[in-house]
Amino acid sequence: MSQWLEQVIERAEKVSDHLSAKRGEALSLLRQQRWPNRRVEAWKYTSLTPIEQLTLVEGATNQKIADIPAIPGVNSLDLVFCGGRLVTDLSGLSLPKGLNILPLSQAQQQTLSLFASIKPKQHLFGLVNDVLAIDGLLLDIEAGADITQPIRIVYLSQKDSESHNRLLVRVGEGAKVCVIEHALGAQSSLATEFAEYKIEKNAQLEHYRLNLRSGKALDVGGNHFFLDEKAQLNSSLVAFGSDLSRLDVDIVHGGEHANAKFNAIYLLGTGETFDLHSCVEHAVAHGTTEENARGIIGDRAKAVFNGRIHIHRHAQKTLAELNNRNLLLSRRGQVNTKPELEIYADDVKCAHGATVAEIEEKALYYLRSRGISRSQALVMLNYGFIQELIDELPNQALADWLAPMLRSRFEQMEVK
Amino acid sequence: MSEQIEKALSRKYEAGFVSEIESETFAAGLDEDVIRRISAMKQEPQWMLEWRLKAYESWLKMEEPEWAHLHYPKIDYQAISYYSAPKSMKDKPKSLDEVDPELLRTYEKLGIPLYEQQMLAGIAVDAVFDSVSVVTTFREKLEEAGVIFCPISEAVHKYPDLVKKYLGTVVPRSDNYFAALNSAVFTDGSFVYIPKGVRCPMELSTYFRINEQNTGQFERTLIIADEGSHVSYLEGCTAPQRDENQLHAAVVELVALDNAKIKYSTVQNWYPGDENGKGGIYNFVTKRGICHTKAHISWTQVETGSAITWKYPSCILKGDNSVGEFYSVALARGRQQADTGTKMIHLGKNTKSTIISKGISAGHANNAYRGLVQMGPNSDGARNFTQCDSLLIGDQCGAHTFPYIESRNPSAIVEHEATTSKVSDEQLFLCQQRGLDAEKAVSMIVNGFCKEVFKELPMEFAVEAGKLLEISLEGSVG
Amino acid sequence: MLKISNLHASVEEKNILKGLDLEIRPGEVHAIMGPNGAGKSTLGYVLSGREGYEVTEGSVEMQGQNLLDLETEERARAGLFLAFQYPVEIPGVSNMEFMKESVNAIREARGEEALSAADFLKKAKEACKQVNLPLDFLKRGVNEGFSGGEKKRNEIMQMILLEPKLCILDESDSGLDIDALQVVAKGVNSQRSPDRSFIVVTHYQRLLDFIEPDFVHILADGKIVKSGDASLAKEVEKTGYAWLGAKGEEKEA
Repeated sequence: MSQWLEQVIERAEKVSDHLSAKRGEALSLLRQQRWPNRRVEAWKYTSLTPIEQLTLVEGATNQKIADIPAIPGVNSLDLVFCGGRLVTDLSGLSLPKGLNILPLSQAQQQTLSLFASIKPKQHLFGLVNDVLAIDGLLLDIEAGADITQPIRIVYLSQKDSESHNRLLVRVGEGAKVCVIEHALGAQSSLATEFAEYKIEKNAQLEHYRLNLRSGKALDVGGNHFFLDEKAQLNSSLVAFGSDLSRLDVDIVHGGEHANAKFNAIYLLGTGETFDLHSCVEHAVAHGTTEENARGIIGDRAKAVFNGRIHIHRHAQKTLAELNNRNLLLSRRGQVNTKPELEIYADDVKCAHGATVAEIEEKALYYLRSRGISRSQALVMLNYGFIQELIDELPNQALADWLAPMLRSRFEQMEVK
Repeated sequence: MSEQIEKALSRKYEAGFVSEIESETFAAGLDEDVIRRISAMKQEPQWMLEWRLKAYESWLKMEEPEWAHLHYPKIDYQAISYYSAPKSMKDKPKSLDEVDPELLRTYEKLGIPLYEQQMLAGIAVDAVFDSVSVVTTFREKLEEAGVIFCPISEAVHKYPDLVKKYLGTVVPRSDNYFAALNSAVFTDGSFVYIPKGVRCPMELSTYFRINEQNTGQFERTLIIADEGSHVSYLEGCTAPQRDENQLHAAVVELVALDNAKIKYSTVQNWYPGDENGKGGIYNFVTKRGICHTKAHISWTQVETGSAITWKYPSCILKGDNSVGEFYSVALARGRQQADTGTKMIHLGKNTKSTIISKGISAGHANNAYRGLVQMGPNSDGARNFTQCDSLLIGDQCGAHTFPYIESRNPSAIVEHEATTSKVSDEQLFLCQQRGLDAEKAVSMIVNGFCKEVFKELPMEFAVEAGKLLEISLEGSVG
Repeated sequence: MLKISNLHASVEEKNILKGLDLEIRPGEVHAIMGPNGAGKSTLGYVLSGREGYEVTEGSVEMQGQNLLDLETEERARAGLFLAFQYPVEIPGVSNMEFMKESVNAIREARGEEALSAADFLKKAKEACKQVNLPLDFLKRGVNEGFSGGEKKRNEIMQMILLEPKLCILDESDSGLDIDALQVVAKGVNSQRSPDRSFIVVTHYQRLLDFIEPDFVHILADGKIVKSGDASLAKEVEKTGYAWLGAKGEEKEA
């Protein structure tokens, strides 16, 4: 048991609200947890040392919000958390028809039934979030609603503090919505942000997770999706690394003919760690999944990708594809990837692939001999596979905002 | 259609007979004394005994591994006998004429005549029966070329320097639970040494047979290919049909020195248990080779038997420009569980590895590929290509792929691909419309699926492997 | 050669053939035409015994034998050959291996000796030549990576090798350009003989310009609604199938 986890449990015991029953369940599971070492498969490549000896400090409740970076052209409805607290005044918002926003602190039947119903119980930090996420939001999109304005949840972390936030989203039958989760900050801090999405029959969710924390901002989170019949998910992840950044993505096909697309881009600068675990459960027949994760790993950086596709016994006619591509820039960096297939149905089409590619020194030299700078040559030769995924982002304005940011991040990476 | 496939898959295990042979078998149980007795039976030198005891010491401290995808009741290591040998072997027969004819008949029934004149010309055989080597053929001919091919128990006496120098260097005594157990109690196995620059004049092969009830087989194979030498080695195995599970925990170590090439082929056909999962061999094997500069090790395996298979023939590509290969067909049917794959550890520069794995699952079986490709910080220019294909037959089986890829070198390239498919109704119908019965059709489609691996087997073995699949797939089609 | 009486057949409980009668004598070529969904492909599958195609009524005799009693492979060994509209791929199994097994299974059923490897190879090469398939197709996996036209020619190549009694060509013309069509037709025509019969299933009259039928039948809604000689095909070419009314336009099952 780590010192930190002991404090989590201690503090959780004092939390009392309308979610107590759910939190109690998580707390008892948490008490049974052993602090994972490298022999635990889920943490085989990522050390929890940075968290192990942290001293738990809550974020201050009243604080000034720094400027929230706007995403030009996206015109999002922004909901801002800072240090674990919601700082946006909900009453001051004018909401599109069909969208309801409820804070976690207000007892609601929907909140209770959604909370911890989609996120699998095995995620250690998910349980921590269960017991410590005092603040959070439920976005409820009514059946048939078409919410055209993207909803952006901004997570800011405060220096030397922890924040634990929870997002619950129900996309009602036939509804359409776009949700952007945007986390940022580089100061020393720890955040756990877990989101659960229930996409009901014929509903469509366009989802973005921008994990743009870096430096000493530790970040452990999860995105958990449940797809009902003919539901559609298009989720995109853009991640930097930090001293420790981990994201668990779970996609469950719970209704037939659902379609999931998940693209992930990670660009890890010097010394950064990013660990992505994805798990797609095809529990029923006729589902399709397409997953693409691509990353560039800089000097002394470490990327971990564990992509699992699990086809259950009755999930016949499933189509699932998973692909992971990596570019390692330094011999002091490392990539650990494991695309897993677990298949129990015979009439399915499944494929996965993973590659770790090289920097082609000869081509690089050739370009430089023609007067092109090293960094520019690197971009020309090696950035294309990232750009392809940027081009696939459904929101053009968001893509236009991200593209130069990601490109300059790549240009600053050192090749060793 | 799927019903027809199921029927075509119903098994017949042809090597399931028991030989009536009087044996000397140790009482079940394992302690230091048992190890001393094994060592005494083999009249081993003190250093060998001490080596075993150290292994035993580490084994006692180890925990039996638990695997996520394998299910079997806990093994009672005190209920197993660790030594069994035909009584007739006690006097060490000098020639085949002195060997118990029942033993010879056993091998003949298995299609492995031990009289040299009856054998296929190009293959020398070491026949291991339970805990002892019965006979090694063509020894004189091999000696002419300077090749040593003998039971490892004999090598301990005759070539102690070679054994001391290499034993346990590729698979250390405490490498894993089963390797440690093997190091403590191994009874026999083959020893091969190919001198510098020699191309071994014939295929070498060892045929392992478990006969006695309630015994485990713990054989140990050590192959050393000196600089610039070449050898091709084959391994086959069978066991009688019994209701109890039996443990087979072997260790194989390959040493390929500079510019040497070792080709190691296995056709594994241990008794798989019946259709309800009763009986069968637990095949927990550690196989590993080390490649020095420009050396080449190629593992080819056809795994059709055993209740549980747990093996990952691996290559440590230590020397620059060395090459590792792994070609595997694993067929699991009934209640079989196969968990197999390889580890390619790239340490040297410009090292290359290729992995081709074909898994076939049928009935209620589960077949998993588990592999590791590791590119070390100094493996500049290293390359790996992996292809894992699964074929599912029926909707009650499972096919799984767990490839670990770890890269720490920016100039290394790793490529991994995996696919899954089934024997489709359309394929079966096409074959049947052309006059083939369902059995033949399934076996042809499965063989086609495995082709890339079969073509790596030495000629004599490829035929056997093809037949083995056919037998495995044989059954009455209504 | 073949006598079909009052044949009814269903797929997934949907009736497709609804009382089909047809008699074919040795050496005859019968063309079966009709709109999509008439049951043309179904007829080929039912005759060759494909699983899921259930005969609910009627009888089929081939050379005096009750065809419906036989397994798919037994029908093939009795001399029935179906050239598939969409031949499936069998990765890793070479055309050569496949055909050798097939030829010998059929020969064995006829009480003939298996062909030696050399004799087989000779015949296979000859068959390839007849349909303009390069010889390396023998070494390639069955239909693996073949183009549409190559697959069709490969089917005819197999037909030539297997020397069947009754050949059913299921839309062997679809998707072919005029050159490929002529190759297919040439292959078929070379196999015409007094003791071999053909059923040529096609949507268009085009193929029949090259393979001249003795009889043409129009299949609609599971029955033969009109029979005639080669001129009937030309008539259909001009008038289409509209005269059959709405029933003829049902979707293929």
